[in-house]
Amino acid sequence: MKRLGPLFLERRLAPPRSVVFGVSFLAVLVALLLAALVFWAYGVSPVRAYSEIGRGTLGTVGGLSDIVRRAIPLILCGVGLTLAFRAQFWNIGAEGQLLAGAVAATGVALFVRVPDGFRLPLMFLAGFGAGAVWAVVPALLRVKLRVNEVISTLMMNYIMAYIVEWLVHGPWKGPTMRGFAYTDMFPVSARLPLIAGTRIHWPTLAVGVLAAVVVALLLSRTRLGYEIRVVGQNPDAARYAGISFASVLALAMVLSGGLAALAGVGEVAGVHWRLRSPGHVSMGYGYTAIIVAWLARGSPIAAVFTALLFGLIFAAGDLMKTTLGLPFQITGVFNGLILFSLISSDLLMYWRVRWAPKEKAWTGQAGL
Amino acid sequence: MDWTSWLVGTVSRALAFGVPLLWGTLGEIYAERSGVVNLGVEGMMILGAYAGFAVAQTLGHPGWGLLAAAGVGALAALWHAFLTVTLRANQYVSGLALTLFGLGLAGLLGRGWEGRPLRAPLGAVAVPVLSDVPVLGPMLFRDQTILTYLGLLLAVVLWVVLFRTRWGIAIRSVGESPATADSLGISVARVRYLCVALGGVLAGVGGGYLSVAYRPAWTEGMTAGMGWIVIALTIFSAWDPLQAIWGAFFFGALYHLSFRLQAYVSPELLKMMPYAFAILVLAASGFGRARWRARAPGALGVPYVRGER
Amino acid sequence: MRKLAIFVMALALVGVLGLGAQRIKAGFIYVGPIGDYGWTHAHDVARRIVDGKYDWLETVYIESVPEGEVETYIDQLVRQGCNVIFTTSFGFMDGTLAAAERYPNVIFAHASGFKRAPNMATYMADFYQVYYLNGLMAGALTKTGKIGYVGAFPIPELKRHISAFTIGVREVNPTATVHVRWIYEWYNPAAAKEATEALIAEGCDVFAFTEDSPTVVQVAAERKFPSFAHYSPMYAFAPDYVVSGQLVHWEEIYDDFLLKIHQGVYTTKNLAHVDYWWLLAQGAAELGAEMGMPINPKYVAPLKGYVVNHPQFGRISVYDLVFLRYNQFADPGITFDPFEGPIYDRKGVLRVPAGMWMSYESLITMEWAAAGIVGPWPGEP
Repeated sequence: MKRLGPLFLERRLAPPRSVVFGVSFLAVLVALLLAALVFWAYGVSPVRAYSEIGRGTLGTVGGLSDIVRRAIPLILCGVGLTLAFRAQFWNIGAEGQLLAGAVAATGVALFVRVPDGFRLPLMFLAGFGAGAVWAVVPALLRVKLRVNEVISTLMMNYIMAYIVEWLVHGPWKGPTMRGFAYTDMFPVSARLPLIAGTRIHWPTLAVGVLAAVVVALLLSRTRLGYEIRVVGQNPDAARYAGISFASVLALAMVLSGGLAALAGVGEVAGVHWRLRSPGHVSMGYGYTAIIVAWLARGSPIAAVFTALLFGLIFAAGDLMKTTLGLPFQITGVFNGLILFSLISSDLLMYWRVRWAPKEKAWTGQAGL
Repeated sequence: MDWTSWLVGTVSRALAFGVPLLWGTLGEIYAERSGVVNLGVEGMMILGAYAGFAVAQTLGHPGWGLLAAAGVGALAALWHAFLTVTLRANQYVSGLALTLFGLGLAGLLGRGWEGRPLRAPLGAVAVPVLSDVPVLGPMLFRDQTILTYLGLLLAVVLWVVLFRTRWGIAIRSVGESPATADSLGISVARVRYLCVALGGVLAGVGGGYLSVAYRPAWTEGMTAGMGWIVIALTIFSAWDPLQAIWGAFFFGALYHLSFRLQAYVSPELLKMMPYAFAILVLAASGFGRARWRARAPGALGVPYVRGER
Repeated sequence: MRKLAIFVMALALVGVLGLGAQRIKAGFIYVGPIGDYGWTHAHDVARRIVDGKYDWLETVYIESVPEGEVETYIDQLVRQGCNVIFTTSFGFMDGTLAAAERYPNVIFAHASGFKRAPNMATYMADFYQVYYLNGLMAGALTKTGKIGYVGAFPIPELKRHISAFTIGVREVNPTATVHVRWIYEWYNPAAAKEATEALIAEGCDVFAFTEDSPTVVQVAAERKFPSFAHYSPMYAFAPDYVVSGQLVHWEEIYDDFLLKIHQGVYTTKNLAHVDYWWLLAQGAAELGAEMGMPINPKYVAPLKGYVVNHPQFGRISVYDLVFLRYNQFADPGITFDPFEGPIYDRKGVLRVPAGMWMSYESLITMEWAAAGIVGPWPGEP
């Protein structure tokens, strides 16, 4: 507890939801004010900038659909990551797990003979499996050989990216692509339906929202969820309670990686309809999802909303490039400012300011 | 093709490509030894690369450029330190934000500086006498800039400081158990600020090397993911400055060989090799003796609050 | 009287509409940053040239657009009122085509692709002739008989360039070889540098490349080896070592295309067969490392001193041969092609029969490697 004149600060362990929300909202406002300075420095009136952004993103159907479409992979990766982070497993590998899903889905879409109606479900299944396998490896490495998961998941992102690179340049290079490094286009039966008039591939969105609900229930209502939380909060206690660290971590990562991989399935089946150079498929969604999950404070339901927030930020970034004619790097600066502001505000949530003008009351308390 | 060409080529390129990795890794080792992960290395490096180029170009001397790179790296790192030490923000997220912000800002400021060669690049030094020794000369003493040798020296000095001096004990104890260090009268915050700032200085110089010496020109995104390799190398070298030398140059050699061997092996396979190797080495060390085991500092990634365990 | 007034008003209205249609707002969608000093940079330089030339033209651009996002950005440009949209990456092809169907009143043009629509044309400024000219010079300048080539991706465009280059090399130096390394990125200075170093270690002493930075020129110059620039003016990066290179003039294509829209020649109905494939003769490509300087003066003497016994022209210096061929390319009738048969690939298969030229179709889908190329060649038939 600290005293600042008539005020005194006290720490609280669990800030109420309203405080988390309020402080985060304030933080975003501060970031927007800082960004306004940047706009102003580039000769764009901040008022005009924000009204253009507001109108272009939230004010049109096209803008809203862009937000949702960009949020879809973030929802799936983000929900998966909340699960891993609850177990205190720093999964930096959603990017690679997403690509693993994209690869498996492409394999099913182009090279597996299967009745048309079963093709998409099989793509999702295969994608989930591939992501699960790719994610369970670092979990096992950590449990069995004590390999730090930050490095193993990060390294596996690069490895998967090169696998994709190899596939599109080598065995999977499409004969109809005239030598360019793309697979052939998916058959129509392997393409996800879109909401009419938008580019939202709604089945993936539905799967994402469903996953958020299921994971939330899993964490709060099931034994596995309980074990994941215990493993994350206190590994020693988990051991005494007879919880198998290895199997809990492995299961958490199967789900975490599998969900990230579903995002990859959605991207190739709903947006690209082919496999292409890895950077253009994953687009850094896996890394952004780390922030999505962190902002959601480990809550899968909240991750849906933080993912939408980042969808909005991406869409706003697009608009800065197009309608305002600002250099594209400004989106990086803008996103950085928002993040800095959000994490700086973190501390604020854990302190409560109290008005305590009476000196005597304080000494009295201290005397107790 | 004779074996000396392979040996000379691989070793000298390993050194040249490994230099920015070595500087960056040494810095990150210190930051992490004090308990602070900084995933913003990529951001600090690109800011260093931009500042190094812009200042060297304006003032006409590479030394000023490198100095500016170091300064800019330090500033960026201090920002990270402020957020994570003083405000106790999440270190992973703060680092990611720093990378995002650094890449954006450097690109923004760098607009208009492209397409011009640096008028005062940092050249290679031919070490007298030694550079004329057959094989060894071209391998080690002809194509390197001063930063290669300074980096090696720095690694040794930083190792000595970390493991043989009181300062080193202070740094390691802050990273292992800040509460204990605090009770011994060590200022946890001050040690962490200094270590993170040192990390920024070294990452900045590593970035400056890229634009002032390695390829003396500025282009958007020229660090191309090196900062992430640095993060990996830090763990790969088990937070040991001497092992960082080995790690950085090993990565350098693999990277160079991926082009040299392209005629024989699939390039994608070669390019993923350094990354796969990093995992394999860590996994293999898991089997080995305890000394080999890469063990992270105890309080890595955890903000310190006095009075809390 | 009233009828006349209505008629005049109608006429005026048509006039206003007509004028309105002639004003062009052109949007450019780039795959890279305009600061890449390669492909995107060159397109943006061209955009600024045409923008400054016509007062009926307004341009906007968006840089660093991921391939899968092109439709989103097209939507935004259309919303902003663009009536002509250029997309400048092969990966934008299907997205552009889909947008062309969605916006039948907007004119689209896609660089380097092969799909067209009534309101979507394609265009490409190609270099294989210039690469061939560079090859002639490289063949004359190598002392070790090994020439290094750093390529970005093993795609038909680069394969065509490297083969044309090698055919040039072999024309003046029949035993020389061209050693190839791929960096699998359009833009990665570190990779380009290490690839060059690997080629130097292999004994190469003259360098050419296709990727988006001046790295190869800089690295070669450090070792005092001559090199050939690519795409943007790179003479300043190594005034003593850049021999020549390829320069692009996308503005020639943009100028022609936009002017024809302005004049009403091109409309949203008649572009299905409009495909610009512009070469040296149309001014879309230029020989040199600096505008207006086809060969670095420092290399004129060595090239004049290298005399070959040419099967067609007898004894001739490479310098003269370069300009002779240059004039054949620049001739509006184009009287020579680098891929003039008989051409065998490096496996000994006859690819172009004697006296024949390659069709446009086979040029843009070319996968084989000309004799003299050494190194990996993914997708080689």
